Amino acid sequence: MIQQQSLGEFEELVLLLVAALHDEAYGVAILENLEAKLKKKVNISAVHVALKRIEDKGFVKSRFGGITEDRGGRRKKFYVITALGKKMLDNQYALRTSIYQQIPKISFG
Amino acid sequence: MKLMPPKRPLQFLRWFCREDYLDEIEGDLIEVFLKQAETNPRKAKRVFTWSVIKYFRPEFIKSFKYPLQSNTTDMLKNYLIIGWRSLVKQKMYSAIKIGGFALGIAACLLIALFIQDELGYDKQYANGQSVYRVVGSVNGNNGIERNTFFPAPMSAALKEDFPEVLKAGRYNAGELFGAGSNEVRPGDQIENSYDEGFAYFDQELADILPLKFIHGSAARALEQPNSIVITQRKAEKYFPNQNPVGKTLVVNNEVKPYTVSGVVENFSNTHLPFDFLISTQGLEFWQGEQKDWGASNYAIYILIDPTVNPKELEKKISKGVIDKYVLPMMVEGGMSEAEAKRFMQEKNVHLQLQSLSDIHLYSSDVQDGFVHGDIRFVWMFGGIAVFILLIAIINFINLSTAKSANRAKEVGLRKVVGSERRSVIHQFLTESVLFSILSFGVGLLLAWALLPYFNALASKTLLIPWTQWQVFPVILVAAILIGIVAGLYPSLYLSSFQPIQVLKGSISKGSKSSPLRSTLVIFQFTTSIVLIIGTFVIYQQMEFILNKKIGFEKDQVVIIQGTNTLGQQTTTFKNELLKVPHVEAVTVSDYLPIRGTKRNGNQFWAEGKSGDDESVNGQIWKVDHDYIPTLGMKMVQGRNFDVNHVTDSSAIIVNQSMAKQLGGEVIGKRLMNGGKVSWTIIGVVEDFHFESIKENIGSLCLRLGNSPSMISVKASSTNMQQLLSNLTETWKKFAPHQPARFAFLDDRYAAMYADVQRMGRIFTTFAVLAIIVACLGLFALSAFMIEQRTKEIGIRLVMGASLKNVFGLLTFNFIKLVIVSIVIGAPIAWYLMNQWLQDFAYRIEISWLVFALTGMIAITIALLTISYQAVKAGLANPVKSLRSE
Repeated sequence: MIQQQSLGEFEELVLLLVAALHDEAYGVAILENLEAKLKKKVNISAVHVALKRIEDKGFVKSRFGGITEDRGGRRKKFYVITALGKKMLDNQYALRTSIYQQIPKISFG
Repeated sequence: MKLMPPKRPLQFLRWFCREDYLDEIEGDLIEVFLKQAETNPRKAKRVFTWSVIKYFRPEFIKSFKYPLQSNTTDMLKNYLIIGWRSLVKQKMYSAIKIGGFALGIAACLLIALFIQDELGYDKQYANGQSVYRVVGSVNGNNGIERNTFFPAPMSAALKEDFPEVLKAGRYNAGELFGAGSNEVRPGDQIENSYDEGFAYFDQELADILPLKFIHGSAARALEQPNSIVITQRKAEKYFPNQNPVGKTLVVNNEVKPYTVSGVVENFSNTHLPFDFLISTQGLEFWQGEQKDWGASNYAIYILIDPTVNPKELEKKISKGVIDKYVLPMMVEGGMSEAEAKRFMQEKNVHLQLQSLSDIHLYSSDVQDGFVHGDIRFVWMFGGIAVFILLIAIINFINLSTAKSANRAKEVGLRKVVGSERRSVIHQFLTESVLFSILSFGVGLLLAWALLPYFNALASKTLLIPWTQWQVFPVILVAAILIGIVAGLYPSLYLSSFQPIQVLKGSISKGSKSSPLRSTLVIFQFTTSIVLIIGTFVIYQQMEFILNKKIGFEKDQVVIIQGTNTLGQQTTTFKNELLKVPHVEAVTVSDYLPIRGTKRNGNQFWAEGKSGDDESVNGQIWKVDHDYIPTLGMKMVQGRNFDVNHVTDSSAIIVNQSMAKQLGGEVIGKRLMNGGKVSWTIIGVVEDFHFESIKENIGSLCLRLGNSPSMISVKASSTNMQQLLSNLTETWKKFAPHQPARFAFLDDRYAAMYADVQRMGRIFTTFAVLAIIVACLGLFALSAFMIEQRTKEIGIRLVMGASLKNVFGLLTFNFIKLVIVSIVIGAPIAWYLMNQWLQDFAYRIEISWLVFALTGMIAITIALLTISYQAVKAGLANPVKSLRSE
């Protein structure tokens, strides 16, 4: 079961993107998608910190890609969501939806 | 143009970032950078740098502790195994490495023990830091003269006049007063036995130090007149298994015995070599002696207020004592006050305070009647220890780097399978620490085995403190440290090999003679040569001392000591001695031209003169009519004392140096010694050395008088055994209860230079040691060099080279190094030994022969060392070395 495993807001966003980008998720791709969705600048280091944390928590797993020229010869590291990560996202989503539905239909005008 | 990310931040990132993250992070950073750089290169750089800084956080920083945390212990085990295997495989080299190292370490350990002992003198006293000895300093004829003899009432005066002086105590160890050496027996026995270490000792001095009492009252033991405090070992000697307090001791058969009032712990590690402390209470050696400011016989120690600055107190005391006591006394003696003041100023007469712990090592120029250690000796010993250790370390370095070719492949392979340079360094350091620890083990055993010899050499009674727990950690730490020092260069050198080159076999480092190795060999031989030259010079000076014309004949003279107990019978005894076969002459006098016999200091005036300006300082010795012929001295003017001249009781004989000071023609003139007494000079005796040859011959005069503690017998026979037994027989007739105590004049003369002899032996020992260690290294080095050139030699031999050619080829390089060492070592040795010779007023010149001889010895030894290997190589069958490829 999911214990008291926490997932921060930014971590959740990154995890969502990893899931969304499926198999193509690596640092820069996540960064760019994130910036596009959030419409603000994000530092790459923040993405990496979040990635390391969710990897440590077991929500994603990683593998190295091949060497490409334009990265100074450095390999990409691709992330894939794990079953645990998916479950976590599902839970989060269910939790939010259920609470959201409890909101009385009142006009907030 | 392709833009590159900024260099420094990238380097920084690579330096700190975890290896396993680096690929991803660096790659992503560069990708972001490149994209951004298309639009705004400047901003891209800024963002790149900023991002790098943001990565500098614990999650991304690599562990700097150990790159290979997981297998350190396994690797250490591996290093030790490999180290041990290479040690066992190369038996000869390992033996030389360890043997040389162990020798060096043994020498160092022994010297460390010696230095520790020397520095530990007088540190055992509780108040030590606040105890000072008073020293008087005068600018005399031979430079600054310092001594510790002061008037009896001065110690009380110091305490009274200066509140900073909390306590002041004295001792008097003057032979003249019956201190020093005496014949002793317990009150209930009749057999006398000879003992040394008597001193008159104030109770207050026992409080100052303070002495540790085993029996008796520490506070009052010396308060009763006629009481005596003895040391534990003397208590055991005279009163075995009993408490001696309350028992009596008879000294020199005197009627009144001393009562033992206490037993103190043995005096050890102190400059005060006493065994019998006689109370000064109620003692007065002559009428008014205790109030007499005119005679200086007491050493004074003071305990000062610890808050007071001793330097300031020193000035205060010096001025106070001179103004209040010394000047008035001089005025009383007939000087005007201005004159007296001028005199004091001219001679720079002043008092000094010498701290208790300084006395042992910093008193070589202070006359206090003791033989002291010398801080220069401590330095010299320490220096020798360091140099011998260096020689041993150099052996280690030289052999390790020379043998590097054998290890090169190993290093290459290690690197290929992933060793970092650091690990290789670790490996070789581990190995050298292993060697060092083994050497320390062997060295400790060696030191333990050599300790008795070393003790004899340094005249000490040192023990290796096995029982102190600190010893082992200290030695272990020292072993590790020295191992690291010795292994540092070899490990840096070995770890620098490039794997490709060594595995291809294109380099075999170590076969060429590297400049560093040559320098080290030169250093070793320079040190050895300095020590050898030192040894020669010391022995030459010693020869010079022993064979110098000293103005008296020291051979075949037997001194009978302790004859004062004969009392009235002395003359009869002397006449009996003359009847003993082969006895030529006999003289009764305590004043002999050797150390340890009586001395005094007096002022003389030629007749009609008084005051200070015309006086001559000199000694006056009480002798009998036969003194000059018995000791083989020569009269240069006038005549010797004559039994038939009744007036000779007021006659005096002066030595040449005194005659010179009195103005040449002195025969028939009269000599005054303070006030009423005056003598007529009847002769001048040729100058003879009565003090150490280190000093110039001072003024001296002889007069007839009774000083019956020593009788000297001049014999014509060389059969001393027979003579001694005859003398003993005669002695027994007179003193059946006192063992006869003989000494030979020439022995006692030689004993005065025991320190020179000791230094000679020390130098010999260490010179031999240094050259052995250096030669061990040279032997191994040459063996290795020749091994490397086996094929070359094989080819040369095949081409027709003779043994001589090969020998010359192989030895020339080494001999060159030895010659360079001689060139460097000779001036250093010359300078050092000249410094040493300055101590002697009468000394040899260092001749070039010494250098030539040393050079020849060094070359010969080096040649012999190398030649075994060289000849072996030259005689080897070239087929053997050339056949295998």
